[in-house]
Amino acid sequence: MAECLLKAVDIYKSFVGVQALKNVSFEIHPGEIHCLAGENGSGKSTLIKIISGVYSPDSGYMEFGGKNYEKITPIDAIQSGIQVIYQDFSIFPNLTVMENLAFNSELADRRKFVNWKRMRQIATEAIAKINFEVDLDALVGSLTVAEKQMIAISRALMFNTKLIIMDEPTTSLTKREVGNLFNIILKLKERGIAILFVSHKLNEVFEISEQFTILRSGELVATGNTSDLDSNKFSYYMTGREFQKKTFIPQHVSEEPIFQAKGIGMQGAFQDVSFDLRKGEIIGITGLLDSGRTELALSMFGIRPIDVGTFLVNGKEVKLSNPQVAMGNKIGYVPEDRLSEGLFLTQSIADNIVISEIDSLANKIGVLDHMSRSAEIERWVKELAIGTPNPDNACQTLSGGNQQRVVLAKWLALNLDILILNGPTVGVDIGSKHDIHEILQKLAEKGLALLIISDDLPEVLENCSRILVMKSGRIVADLDAAQTDEKTILSYMM
Amino acid sequence: MKTTITNTLRKLSRRNEPYIFLVLMLLCVLIEIRSGQFFSSNNLVDIASALVVPGLFAIGAFMVIISGGIDVSFPALASLSVYATTKFLLDMNYQGGVWLAILIALALGAILGAFNGLFIGYFRLPALIVTLGSSSVFKGVMQGALNSKQLTIIPIGMKDFGTSSLFIARNPVSGLTSRMPVAIIAFLVVLFLVYFMMRYTMFGRGIYGIGGSETSAHRAGFGVRNTKFIMYVMVGMIASLAGVMRVCMMQQAHPTNMLGMEMNIIAGVVLGGTAITGGRGTLLGCMLGTLLIVIVENSLILIGVPTSWKSVFTGLLIIIGTGVSAYQVSHMNRVRSAKTPAKEVVA
Amino acid sequence: MKKLMILMVIVLMVVPMVFAAGQAEKKTGYEIVVVPKDASNPWFVRMKVGVDEYAKATGLNVYQKGTAQIDATLQAQLIQDLIAQGVDALCVVPVDLESLEPVLAQAKKAGIVVITHEGSALENVDYDIEAFSNAGYGAFIMDNLAEAMNYEGVYTTMVASLTNGSHNEWADAGVAHQKEAYPKMQLLAAEKRIESFDNGDVAYNGAKELFKKYPNLKGIMGTSSYDAPGVARAIEELGLIGKAFTSGTGMPLDNAALLESGVVKSLTLWDPALAGKAMIALAVQVLDGKKIEGVVDLGVDGYTNMKFKPGSKTVLEGEGWIVINAKNVYDFGF
Repeated sequence: MAECLLKAVDIYKSFVGVQALKNVSFEIHPGEIHCLAGENGSGKSTLIKIISGVYSPDSGYMEFGGKNYEKITPIDAIQSGIQVIYQDFSIFPNLTVMENLAFNSELADRRKFVNWKRMRQIATEAIAKINFEVDLDALVGSLTVAEKQMIAISRALMFNTKLIIMDEPTTSLTKREVGNLFNIILKLKERGIAILFVSHKLNEVFEISEQFTILRSGELVATGNTSDLDSNKFSYYMTGREFQKKTFIPQHVSEEPIFQAKGIGMQGAFQDVSFDLRKGEIIGITGLLDSGRTELALSMFGIRPIDVGTFLVNGKEVKLSNPQVAMGNKIGYVPEDRLSEGLFLTQSIADNIVISEIDSLANKIGVLDHMSRSAEIERWVKELAIGTPNPDNACQTLSGGNQQRVVLAKWLALNLDILILNGPTVGVDIGSKHDIHEILQKLAEKGLALLIISDDLPEVLENCSRILVMKSGRIVADLDAAQTDEKTILSYMM
Repeated sequence: MKTTITNTLRKLSRRNEPYIFLVLMLLCVLIEIRSGQFFSSNNLVDIASALVVPGLFAIGAFMVIISGGIDVSFPALASLSVYATTKFLLDMNYQGGVWLAILIALALGAILGAFNGLFIGYFRLPALIVTLGSSSVFKGVMQGALNSKQLTIIPIGMKDFGTSSLFIARNPVSGLTSRMPVAIIAFLVVLFLVYFMMRYTMFGRGIYGIGGSETSAHRAGFGVRNTKFIMYVMVGMIASLAGVMRVCMMQQAHPTNMLGMEMNIIAGVVLGGTAITGGRGTLLGCMLGTLLIVIVENSLILIGVPTSWKSVFTGLLIIIGTGVSAYQVSHMNRVRSAKTPAKEVVA
Repeated sequence: MKKLMILMVIVLMVVPMVFAAGQAEKKTGYEIVVVPKDASNPWFVRMKVGVDEYAKATGLNVYQKGTAQIDATLQAQLIQDLIAQGVDALCVVPVDLESLEPVLAQAKKAGIVVITHEGSALENVDYDIEAFSNAGYGAFIMDNLAEAMNYEGVYTTMVASLTNGSHNEWADAGVAHQKEAYPKMQLLAAEKRIESFDNGDVAYNGAKELFKKYPNLKGIMGTSSYDAPGVARAIEELGLIGKAFTSGTGMPLDNAALLESGVVKSLTLWDPALAGKAMIALAVQVLDGKKIEGVVDLGVDGYTNMKFKPGSKTVLEGEGWIVINAKNVYDFGF
């Protein structure tokens, strides 16, 4: 291979006592698609910031284009051809595409006055580089996520760019948009531009990258050819844990269904849907985005009431007209992302456990009863074996797995019978995903009835005992998870 | 050709200015029908003259709101700097022209504005909290340190400037006359300068950028702190200029009767389509919104609405005006989410 | 950075204390506080002169304390603070009668003597002092306006706010007096009363609109000390000098230019310094346990022959009004 474009050698960095990066060395070559992976908090963003000059390393050095830098300033970085595309794309949603494209270079040229003609010219040239078509006078805020990303890429290419760092670029893109992005990345590669692609998604790493580097807790655990990597190794490098696939087999399923839907329907969303849910089991509902699965979930929590049909809880008919009624019937609903983002990381573990049941811990006059609060906290820490010396420590001091246990405690403390989860692991990294799955299965073992809405088929297959497939607002298949596979489910979905 | 026209129309319909302009015209016609006086030359001059002070304030408030901040201290700031200026000139028995008053007030305004700018720009404290606080401080200095009371006699230069006119409009029917105050020039000059700055300088675009996304502005290379600081200094100067104009035109310096104007001024700016969250809005819209408020405030007797209903009227206007823009925003969002996924991009 | 901010906060907190320290002079005897509508209006600045004179002459702990702005809520808060402070008597010039009533009730409950001025409709007071009967003063303003208008033509009235006690009584009395004495004059039916909010600019703009809308309007009867000067500015600018007139309350020196130029023929007033003194004198008499009945002599010019307003047990009326015009404008020393 040709000489290195970027070489980072023995990079160390710590923040007030926390070692963020330890002895990290890796290389990027021109025109290479390099994937930087790692769980949250593994030091990925610190590394990016060191490469782009936002932070300077405590020790170690970098070589860029044959030049040695002990530390690189942001301006050096840009001049050496490094561009970072952050997750928020660094755009101005309130301004036009033209201004978004032209500002950086105008500011780099230290211009004091605005020449709208020149700005238009700059912008036109910028989007032409990736054959991106967009109305230059449109407000960026009115564009789709993918279009915003194209703007960020076009802008990055305006300078004599040799390396583009993309921070989790596929978050909130649709599958098709991801495909487009990958096409563009390949075109950039052809032009000799290297891409450092930050991701924690297994399939993306395999699909796009040639080289990979994986960080864990600030240390480089592996770097090399992607072709030498397989999914088991990847998971191991990311988390330091070996996962064996554990398919959920419900242990104690109640005889009587706790929740029943009978011929329910909602105008324009779904119709004629019936199913039973028993304590101790996990049902999966899957289908394409417009199959009505989300509306079905919302109707069960009373957010969008049904037009026809009936719901029965414990055999009794209930009108789930609003979330209060649903909660009164011990139904809980967890929207997307909530499992991973549902913790106040800087608050204490104890507070995180009791936050959701805070009302029930108050005494008659509405003042928090500290005795019952401590009792409750102690109970959960013990019951779920949350590994902490002191529940008053901040949540962020816990390891990922223990954090998930706190989340679990939060939900159990609510004393629910039925828990509906919409996309429980969307955008979650491998380790956390595994933890969440474990939690869900434990919840079921503890006697909850769970309903998972997800289009992540492996997830549904692993965790659910039954899978309902929805298509155009109807349940088209009711499958036994043990008897089916991804291919079958897909054939029903499409 | 046809498509360009419809395109232009569609773009216009997404902006606030045409709506505000329409409402403004309707109001004017209503007043004209009710009183037969609105479009008389002297009334128009009166409106222009009543616009000077709120207009200047609105320009400052506009800049701040565009940057994503908010300033509720400008009336107190203006009161303090003009009061101190007037008192100082009276004490030294100054007999010269108004220019010295303007210069001193501008300097004081810059210092007081820098006070806001320091806390908001450099210490990154929330603008609302800072300006609420500085507003109290300014009032306190005025009441406490300067022991303020109404000054019914003002320096001769200021007095003459206040009564001097560009021209006098005479209503041929009623014989009533109105002066077009020279102060309107100050307003127009500031309006033009700020328009130019906001549109044709990187500093002005930076204010828009910061209002859109401070992080992005920082990453793009705008000096966020300096931009904010200088902007608050400018706003302090504009507010102080407004204060001088007010005192000259009223022929007396009252320490407190500008206080409380901030609400209607900010309302006017928002009414003109400036997003309270920052980043979006035009100076034209801002001026239309302010004009609307000024006309409502100064025409209720002409329409025949009892003055005690004034606040109800302005309140309603604000609710309707901001409601329309809120509706538009949510409408735009809906259109956006309904939009099909990104166009195919073939590299 | 954090340290710097803490330092700033400390400075901000200490500065007011330093300012406040100067006011903490100790005096003996009754603590009587005069609460005007605000602290900056020259009218109340003049009242403070009287209050301070009284304090100096008697050595009592008497002082005036006003809010920064004219604001009913702020005034109520200030009075509540003073109640908590445990003063002996409160002399209040109320901004808004209705909203002050409960606060004054609190004061009375706390055993504080409450004297008001320009608040004859208040209930929770020991006594209310009026420089004169409101009816008498309203008629007196009307006499002045009528004279300027040559006893004929259309006029209207202006008050600080429609909830203001005395202003509305004066205006009512003025209108009543006109009906009786000046049959050729006429109250503008469409706008019988407009508000100036004690703000000269509002009075000015309101007057401009009135003269535009009603071309036959010839006079505006002002009540607040901001009304007539504001209206006068409008008359001057609209080119109506000699065609439209105003009269009302106003301070001599502040309006010297207006009076001398002839835009306003005459203004009326009473001396707020004397009114302030009279309130305190009455408070002292009540605190001393003197019976207040029949004809009351407060030992203050114009307030030596005070009588209860017919039908009232709390409102005492004096004879303290004066006219100012171009001739005597400099005779008052304020």
